[in-house]
Amino acid sequence: MQRRSFMQSVLLASLAAAGKPGFLRAEVLAPTGPELFAAGLARDPWLAGWKSVGVESLGPTQASIEGRWPGSLTGTLYRNGPARFERGALRYQHWFDGDGMMHSWRIRDGQISHTARMIATAKFVQEEKAGRFEVRASGTTIPGALPIRNNDSMNTANTAVVRLGDRVFALWEGGSAYEIDPDTLAARGPTTWRSDLVAAPFSAHPLLERDGSAWNFGSLDFFGTTGLLIWRIGADGALVRTAVLESKEPGYLHSFAMTQKYLVFTFMPYRMAEDKGAFFERLQFTPDRACRIALVPKDALDAPRWFEAPFAAIYHFADAYEHRGEVVVRAARHRDIEEARSPMAAAMRGERDSSSSNTELVSLRLDLARNRARWETHGVSGFEFPTFDARAPGNQPALLYAPASVKPANAPFFNAISSIDTRAERVDVHHYGADVMAEEHLFVPRPGSTRPGDGWLVGTLLDFGRGRSGVVVLDAARVKEGPLAIAWVPYTVPLGFHGWFVHKA
Amino acid sequence: MKMLLLSMPSFIAMGLFMATAHAGDLSVTISDIREAKGSLLIAVVNSDAAWNNEAKPVAVQKVPAAQGEVKLQFKDLAPGAYAVQVFHDENGNNKLDSNFLGIPTEGYGFSNNPNVMRKAHYDEARFDVGADAANVTIRLR
Repeated sequence: MQRRSFMQSVLLASLAAAGKPGFLRAEVLAPTGPELFAAGLARDPWLAGWKSVGVESLGPTQASIEGRWPGSLTGTLYRNGPARFERGALRYQHWFDGDGMMHSWRIRDGQISHTARMIATAKFVQEEKAGRFEVRASGTTIPGALPIRNNDSMNTANTAVVRLGDRVFALWEGGSAYEIDPDTLAARGPTTWRSDLVAAPFSAHPLLERDGSAWNFGSLDFFGTTGLLIWRIGADGALVRTAVLESKEPGYLHSFAMTQKYLVFTFMPYRMAEDKGAFFERLQFTPDRACRIALVPKDALDAPRWFEAPFAAIYHFADAYEHRGEVVVRAARHRDIEEARSPMAAAMRGERDSSSSNTELVSLRLDLARNRARWETHGVSGFEFPTFDARAPGNQPALLYAPASVKPANAPFFNAISSIDTRAERVDVHHYGADVMAEEHLFVPRPGSTRPGDGWLVGTLLDFGRGRSGVVVLDAARVKEGPLAIAWVPYTVPLGFHGWFVHKA
Repeated sequence: MKMLLLSMPSFIAMGLFMATAHAGDLSVTISDIREAKGSLLIAVVNSDAAWNNEAKPVAVQKVPAAQGEVKLQFKDLAPGAYAVQVFHDENGNNKLDSNFLGIPTEGYGFSNNPNVMRKAHYDEARFDVGADAANVTIRLR
């Protein structure tokens, strides 16, 4: 009897508690990823940079222009980046997981308009139909993920954009390039360059020769082997040839660099944790081991020279040049390898303690006579997404342009643009403001100019203080003076990764 | 993300039935067929060796592909352990096409639908057929 009443009282107490608002949500069900992020965004508006886009397209929207846009700077800035981070109760935990969204900023007749479209990859189409994430992702374990055919089944096409010939491609790093209609931004599907190359990895940072032909690579580490596939694409956008660069060990690389004579591939050593999980969950960089560097002559792809240098965590290489028997490659080195494994991971969860700025400029110096490699630092830190004028002479460092972090800042992301001249040991900076986040700025040559550095920087901004995104132009030689003009749209779009400018008179 | 070489040469050996005393029927439903193009090639095996093309399959069928779902039957199987592999020969060349790395570029699937990025092992795809009829659904990937 006593026991029964004890049970009853416990039950009654539970039921009474269950009837109180918030009981189930707060005490029984943990908040979902989307709920946690929404709470973070309400507190910290800069998290708009990682907010999930829930619609299939945006715009066209006429931007309002502040300042004077240069009359001869016409054409289209394409930008790509992850945008769909949430479906149902699931939010991706890794920035690289989001489905790609292609943006275009069209500049003509003194007007600028913004349009964006989710890239209709096989994955995106499948999950739109299913109404949930059901395909495995690169950096998040997806509960109940369905078996997939191959790597292209999980291709998000979310990293970069390039024009090769007159074709525009959305790029990822573990699968095919997705061709995009340059006007409507509609996805035309994964590109098969040759019948045996279906789903072959075509990574996100092709490099162009002055004649418009291109080089690229794809890592074979994703396929249970090691090494690279090297791609040579003609100026007409058609495949010229491929070659396999064999490597005896696994190595991660996101981009590469080239001089007039050489391609330079830097492999970051890592091992994969044995447990199950997504690629970036299992990836463990091994800083106790050396980076291996392949110096590949463009005219002898089967004759690489190998170098070793101390470990460095790098996503983005910039220019490379040859000088006094050395090949020198510049890059943004990450000091925090956990941040490198999952950039802005806290922001992805709706939390504050991310940092994008724990980086420094390094030069990798390959001494060809002694077959030695070493890193050199320049005392320049807190930047990423470096770009340069590809017309740089090739025997000396180019000027670099990169988003940077300066004070005051109300977000743990870049809020300035810098011009870095390592020869003059000079860095010019323009601070956009504490409430602005700055993305990659591309160098666009002034039409008719031939002098390296003569042109503009065209970049994108997210002003979370005023809830707007925009495209900015600066004179590349006068970065300190700030923007010539900024074109704003009255909404924010998530931060992306890389862009491509197509000049059209 | 690891993909291992996946090939299904078991399909080259066509059409062998084994006589049985205590027969059971196996119904196979193949779902998630992307296009009504080409054929589906289905092999039923009862050993690790046959799964890996070192012995003949128990039974093989080739049926036209239809978008969505196709059902077929294997009759009179002796009670025991079996596994089924299927591929969608979209271009009619009688093989599962793959790229230069051996990564499949046509649809395929295994009984039990193991969620692996490689060819499933026999043990992962194995199921039992008793004296009564058995059903398996294979989701093409």
